[in-house]
Amino acid sequence: MLKEKIENLKKQFLAEIEKIRPSDEALFELEKKYTGRKSEFIGILKSLKDLSQEEKKQIGELANNTKNQIWEIIKNKRQEISENSFDAEKEKIDVTIPGKKKSVGHFNPISLVRRDIEDIFVSMGYEIADGPEVETGWYNFDALNIPKDHPARDMQDTFFLDAEAGEEKLSMRSQTSAVQARYMEKNKPPLRIIVPGKCYRREATDTTHDHTFYQFEALIVGENVNVGNLKFTAQEFFSAFFKQNVTVRLRPSYFPFVEPGFEFDISCTVCGGKGCRACKGGGWLEIGGAGMVNQNVFVSAGYPRNKYQGFAWGFGLERLAMMRYKIDDVRLFHGGDLRFVKQF
Amino acid sequence: MKYSYNWLKELSDTKLSPEKARELLTMHSLEIEGMEEKKWNFDGVVVGKILEIKKHPNADKLQLTKVDIGNDKLDIVCGAKNIAVEDKVPVALVETKLPNGIEIKEAEIRGEKSFGMLCALDELGLGTDHSGIYILDSKAKIGEPAKKYLGVEDDTIFEIKVLPDRAHDATSHVGVAREISVLENRNFEYDFDGLKLPASTRGDDRSSTRGWPSKKSKKLTVKIEDKKSAQGGSASGGLCSRYIGAVMEDVEIKDSPSWMKQRLEASGIRPINNVVDATNYVMLELGQPLHAFDAEKISNKNKLQIIVRKAKDKEKLVLLDESILELNNSDLLITNGETPLALAGIMGGKDSGINENTKTIILEAANFNAVNIRRSRTRLGVKTESSDRFEKDIDPNLAEKAIVRIIEVLEHTADAKLEGVIDVYPNKIKPCKIKLDLEYVDNLLGENIPKKEVIKILNLLGIKTSLSGNKLIAETPTCRVDLKTQEDLIEEIGRIWGYEKIEPRPLTEPVIPAKINEILSFERKLGEIAVGFGFDEMYNYSFYSEIDAKNCALDGIKHFELSSPMNPDQKYVRVSLVPNILKNIKTNLKNFESLNIFEIGKVYYPNNNAVEEKRMLVMAQVLEKDPVNFAEAKHGASKNAETFYNLKGTVENLLEKISVDENSISFNEVKLPKNHLAHAGRSAEILIDGEKIGMIGEINPIVLGKYKIGKRVAICELDTEKLLKISQKEIVFKSLQKFPTITRDISMLAKGETKAIEIQKLIKKIGGSLVLSVSMFDVFFKDGVTSFAYHIEFGAPERTLENKEVDEVMEKIVVGLEKELGLEIRK
Repeated sequence: MLKEKIENLKKQFLAEIEKIRPSDEALFELEKKYTGRKSEFIGILKSLKDLSQEEKKQIGELANNTKNQIWEIIKNKRQEISENSFDAEKEKIDVTIPGKKKSVGHFNPISLVRRDIEDIFVSMGYEIADGPEVETGWYNFDALNIPKDHPARDMQDTFFLDAEAGEEKLSMRSQTSAVQARYMEKNKPPLRIIVPGKCYRREATDTTHDHTFYQFEALIVGENVNVGNLKFTAQEFFSAFFKQNVTVRLRPSYFPFVEPGFEFDISCTVCGGKGCRACKGGGWLEIGGAGMVNQNVFVSAGYPRNKYQGFAWGFGLERLAMMRYKIDDVRLFHGGDLRFVKQF
Repeated sequence: MKYSYNWLKELSDTKLSPEKARELLTMHSLEIEGMEEKKWNFDGVVVGKILEIKKHPNADKLQLTKVDIGNDKLDIVCGAKNIAVEDKVPVALVETKLPNGIEIKEAEIRGEKSFGMLCALDELGLGTDHSGIYILDSKAKIGEPAKKYLGVEDDTIFEIKVLPDRAHDATSHVGVAREISVLENRNFEYDFDGLKLPASTRGDDRSSTRGWPSKKSKKLTVKIEDKKSAQGGSASGGLCSRYIGAVMEDVEIKDSPSWMKQRLEASGIRPINNVVDATNYVMLELGQPLHAFDAEKISNKNKLQIIVRKAKDKEKLVLLDESILELNNSDLLITNGETPLALAGIMGGKDSGINENTKTIILEAANFNAVNIRRSRTRLGVKTESSDRFEKDIDPNLAEKAIVRIIEVLEHTADAKLEGVIDVYPNKIKPCKIKLDLEYVDNLLGENIPKKEVIKILNLLGIKTSLSGNKLIAETPTCRVDLKTQEDLIEEIGRIWGYEKIEPRPLTEPVIPAKINEILSFERKLGEIAVGFGFDEMYNYSFYSEIDAKNCALDGIKHFELSSPMNPDQKYVRVSLVPNILKNIKTNLKNFESLNIFEIGKVYYPNNNAVEEKRMLVMAQVLEKDPVNFAEAKHGASKNAETFYNLKGTVENLLEKISVDENSISFNEVKLPKNHLAHAGRSAEILIDGEKIGMIGEINPIVLGKYKIGKRVAICELDTEKLLKISQKEIVFKSLQKFPTITRDISMLAKGETKAIEIQKLIKKIGGSLVLSVSMFDVFFKDGVTSFAYHIEFGAPERTLENKEVDEVMEKIVVGLEKELGLEIRK
């Protein structure tokens, strides 16, 4: 009996809600009519107390569910009304008006290149090492097998300081290799490090030379490190850096701290080695110097002679940044012009 | 150094094209920096035969000639008198452009027509000789291009960068020719008993071979006074390990033959006369610097003697180039017993040089201590082709090859006759023996190179080998001063064998997890934060000028100074990043209204005999509208110091990002002198837990004035290493506030110099744990009174606060502020 009554009320509600013009007021009235305090529904619920326990439970549940259904339907209807009242056209804006920008900072491109390089090497298990920029004669020269009065000291013009430490003048380090002996003194092989950093050479500046520049150097020492490993490592690195297959070519050269010593070239990253303007038709780009660590350097660092083998290689960060970003003047890096920095 | 490829070809017997040779040398031997073709262009110059010579009717100095050029007979007016009928001469035809720039045109010279020009050597670009028309070989064919009779050869010039390891042997044509031979798998046949002269001078002597001249000079004596040199070569510190003197007589001083001049010029040396040219020629060929003295000029009391000795302090010498040197006793002199004749190994003296009257010469082929030459030439500032070679340390055995060679050359080019030779060589240099472990060769190169191949390569390079077990005993020629160790030999093997044949191989060494470089990765993080806050990164030089140091009031701090800076603007090594940052600001204000910039870098302090380097982060800010205007600057009012407060906020944000506890940070007022870099009224030390980690402040307007910066500049300097230590504390999580909080506002007026931090501290002190935060939301200054306004947030961890409770605390706060700080609370 009550059950039928409830179901009828529901049918009646469903029919009525279909008929009305949906508006917030109409829905309010409808809600009041069916579930309000004076509604038939509440009357039914009030009469439950006269029923048996069994019926009370059964009918009560039905009544409650029905009431909830009604509420749900009304809620959905309200949502529908509100959504229908939203008109995107009326809210339309001009999306081409400039946005409100936050001020955005920029890294110097050397930093960008340096971070990339560091990430690649760290992923290959290299430690990042560093050392002083004002260096003693020992670390900048002697420990690197560049004795006083040796013509190799002329290979780079050094900025000496009007200050001495020990017998030799202090200088602005002319190469990151100065860190080699410093690191090896404190660490035993096997070791693999990279040394990025600021270096100084007393050279006239032009579009490809600056007296202050950033060098990057990798050093591996172990018992079985060979030239083949050097080639492999360089190839892996440059392929990762330039995101293409790069091959490395070694040419004989001389740096006092290595023996044998090489210049290394990479296959042209513009034409892949076929020959183009970037590589002046040769298919190769000169990148840096490399070699097998000279045993004298090991001895300077306190290692026994001929126990270890290692390789070192290095290059200028500016050169890589110039290649990557097609920068045509090295002086821009230290020029302090925001029109330059803000492009990166 | 410049090398003539014709010369290299002749010495090495190679048939390679210059391009191919360049490629081979580049990949296996030396770096070739440039290659330049030298082509002689005599288009339009033909062989002509003189048919008639007549006097010019209107000019005494001119003659009229008729010249047969095969297909025509030309009338040509000529000034030179050295011509005769039947002579064959180079004729430049009308419309020819000569190497010296003259263009030949039809001309009328004093009424006589001229259809061409008879050429002297200088007009053809062949030296400076203008003494007369060049007379060609009588066999020259009329009408043919004159080029083939002018003794010129087209050539290719290599510019080779010889590095110090090969400077002992490869700053010579022989050295490079030896490389070419080896790379073509041929033994290099060149020794002092097999010297060849270019074909044009060989004549009948072609097959002659020469040995060490057996004639001992009867006229010359040579003595080396430096005691140490008796002990042996350069390595021992002896200043002169060898001195060979040769006397040549009946010398006819004249121009060198054209082939020799061409070769000298190809190598960038100016021809002078046949004797001087011969010394240079042999030096370019063999790498041994030579010197020639005029015997007459140096003879002392009719005795011809050479005494090698150290200079006396303040002894003077006038060099060939007329410069006067003041010497000291570390310089080495060549003397005649009394007078200095030459600065040994560097430059000859003016008074002993060769001139057109020289008849007898003394040739010097010696070996001087490399280090000493280097020191002398550096100190005296005289750098020559000779000193360049000696300071690289050359083989004393080379001297005898060179003396034989120059004697031979001068016999041809100066008709000179050898009187005799004196050789003082107390300690003969012996070849170096190296024990080479063949396994090590493979281990270091990473490839298996067959033993046979190794031996072949070494032998081709003139290194003698013998096997002893798995070791090779290698005897290196004395000219290869660079070969001393196993690794030196492995390099020779590797490069000749070919580095391109070495396969790339992954490392077999164990990978050990790398330690993190904390300071570098921290600085990288700081950079990221700064960029995130809208700052642009600057890279500056580590130098500035003395004036910068003064302008920035840094001149009281001891700076390192560069001994020889690029320019005075870069003499001082920085103790602060600020001067260059100010220059950045100045530069960029031309293009930008406001800027936020930063730099991470080192500063360098002398500290007794040591160096102290500090790592700094500097951030600087300039706002669009905050001009330097003293009238508006007033105490406590942020609106008049926006630049400062903006940057201070950035620093606070930065410290938050690196997890520094807000409560541990304080910005303390500092007393600064009026002329300090920082604005004495607008600067603070930044302390964390009482430790100073940096400074923040506006730049002193007086300093800004010096840099012509018209806007306020705020700068902070932070010591990144100190920051790193502080920021390493782990973050400790605080439970989230579960119960609702209540916020009350309070505003007050201060008449005196009450500081914001005092108010904030007092509120916290009185409010105790119920005060969760105190934040200022307004401050302004008007009529001598500063108004402060704060939000105070109250809350408790375990319950909801009641309004009544908060009212009570607020009451206490009001009383406290009034009593303790004398503030007037606005109701």
